[in-house]
Amino acid sequence: MELHDRSRAGVKILALEGSFDTYTAEPIRRWLDEATRSAPAHVVVNLSQVDFMDSTALSTLVQGMKRAREKGGELYLCGLQSPVRLIFELTRLDRVFEIFVSEEDAVQAIKGEATH
Amino acid sequence: MLDAIVRQYRPQLNALAHAWLDSGARAFGIYAGGEALVVWPENGDIRDARLRAPIKSGIEVIAELRVAGDNLGNIEAHLEADAGFISSLLPLERELNSIATELIDTRDQLVALYQLTQATRNSLDIQRSLEHLAMQAAMMAKAEGAFFYLRPADQEPWAVHYPEPNLSEEDIQPYLRELVESKLPYLSTGVVSSQVPGKAWQMLLLPINVRGIVLALIGVLHRADRDFMSPEIKLVQAIGEYAGAHIENLLLFKSNMELTRLQTEMELARRVQVSLLPKSPPSIPGLDIWAGSQPASQVGGDFYDFISRPGDAVSFVVGDISGKGMPAALLMSMTRTLIRTETNALSTSTPEMVLRRTNAELYNDFTELVMFSTVFMAQYDQSKPGLVYANAGHSPVIYCPRQGRARLMKADGVPIGILPMTQSRDHCLNWEPGDLFVIGTDGLTEARNSKNQSFGYQRLISLVEELSSQPAEEIARQVYQQVRDFSGGLSQQDDQTLVIIKRLPL
Repeated sequence: MELHDRSRAGVKILALEGSFDTYTAEPIRRWLDEATRSAPAHVVVNLSQVDFMDSTALSTLVQGMKRAREKGGELYLCGLQSPVRLIFELTRLDRVFEIFVSEEDAVQAIKGEATH
Repeated sequence: MLDAIVRQYRPQLNALAHAWLDSGARAFGIYAGGEALVVWPENGDIRDARLRAPIKSGIEVIAELRVAGDNLGNIEAHLEADAGFISSLLPLERELNSIATELIDTRDQLVALYQLTQATRNSLDIQRSLEHLAMQAAMMAKAEGAFFYLRPADQEPWAVHYPEPNLSEEDIQPYLRELVESKLPYLSTGVVSSQVPGKAWQMLLLPINVRGIVLALIGVLHRADRDFMSPEIKLVQAIGEYAGAHIENLLLFKSNMELTRLQTEMELARRVQVSLLPKSPPSIPGLDIWAGSQPASQVGGDFYDFISRPGDAVSFVVGDISGKGMPAALLMSMTRTLIRTETNALSTSTPEMVLRRTNAELYNDFTELVMFSTVFMAQYDQSKPGLVYANAGHSPVIYCPRQGRARLMKADGVPIGILPMTQSRDHCLNWEPGDLFVIGTDGLTEARNSKNQSFGYQRLISLVEELSSQPAEEIARQVYQQVRDFSGGLSQQDDQTLVIIKRLPL
């Protein structure tokens, strides 16, 4: 699992690469903790290079989203590949997260959210 | 000191005295501080003796050798030689004295070291042990202060000072770097403090090696005008070595403790989990039921349950708590208990109502622990047509009608613990004789092989379809077998749970 982080227009972006599961979730959880420490916490997690996610990975993202919302922000997802998308659909977490096709769309949407 | 010489060299002095008395002297003795220190014969008097020769310690005259008598001839040279002999004994005596003092000191230090080991051997608190060692190091080396500086591999470095930190970490830092590289004792003069303006020390820094790594340092401070003596350095070295052994023991003990604690927690979690699972599925006329779970080495949070309301409906529950270990096991037991309570609370309660109330009750706990639980719940009532179910984010749930295609039944609501309100609704499935329900957990679909591929949903769906005419137990056996074969001996990462319910053909 590789983590690449960057920032665009005040939005913190975390791009992940590899398998996101029980064994690789810890550094991601720490990154999300840090990113959602101060308000407003606008975060986009790019999953376009993630080929596998388990329930620990899902709860890590749910935790990040809850923390972002506590800080008046949002955590959006983008670039889900089909096996990962299936997990979101089967657990109905696709109803909880705002999911975008591209990182650009996610960043634009979160900026729009911020100005409202 | 002259007393000691008189005691020590009594036979030699006796011989000198008798030689003088034999050659006609009336009395012979040593005179110091206005009185005779020793005199031969015992009642002899040397107060007014005419012949005198100085006994010197260095250039200082500390006593006189005196001979009393008449007509002794020209014997001054002889007397001076004797006085010279006694003077020459003085440095020897001084050296002996200092050796004796050192021996006593060393003995004291050994006793102190022993007491030190006794005092710290039962202490498991590094901070307290090192405070004690720093205090002892300062006292034994008669120093102004002492400190330990620890640099554990997995933590920020920290320091323990005695008495109070005269030197801040910034003051010590430059010396530390040098020592960590050289791994050799380091003596520095003119070490200044940012805490006490105008104050300077001599500092002795020694590395403390634990398995070849400089894991800590011991530092001792003397006043700037006082040098470190060789025994002091050795003593500090001994304390440093002892501290190293002690730190190593504590670290070993801590990591063993941590391991034992984790193992105990895992074992407890596993027992909680296993004890909560039904020993055997209920026997319900017209249904063929198989249920089981293969726990992973690292206990996951799978659970299943059968809840019978007397003379009424029976409920099937399968869930998976995200997360592992004791927190998952505890939440699992809470979830399971609450589902039972809510199911039995009202004879009219449906899966949707049970899941909604369970979520409302547990939402805060799940949020607090950063976990959630998927739950599938179905209710079967012989007196009513169909099967009523609700699904909070659980998968895989596979339905296979008799002689039809197996399909995945997707959840309509999110798992319990994610949102304050559930969205899972009751659904009614027309459940005909011969129809099959297979509810698994993600440990099956996410089982991986050496090529890092997952067993996946499609394989499981096809397998269920293929086996649908078999009895529930045979379906379970084959599913587990196929998943095991797919993994090819790779260790199981998550619990694998299966509940199979088949409506027997009429």
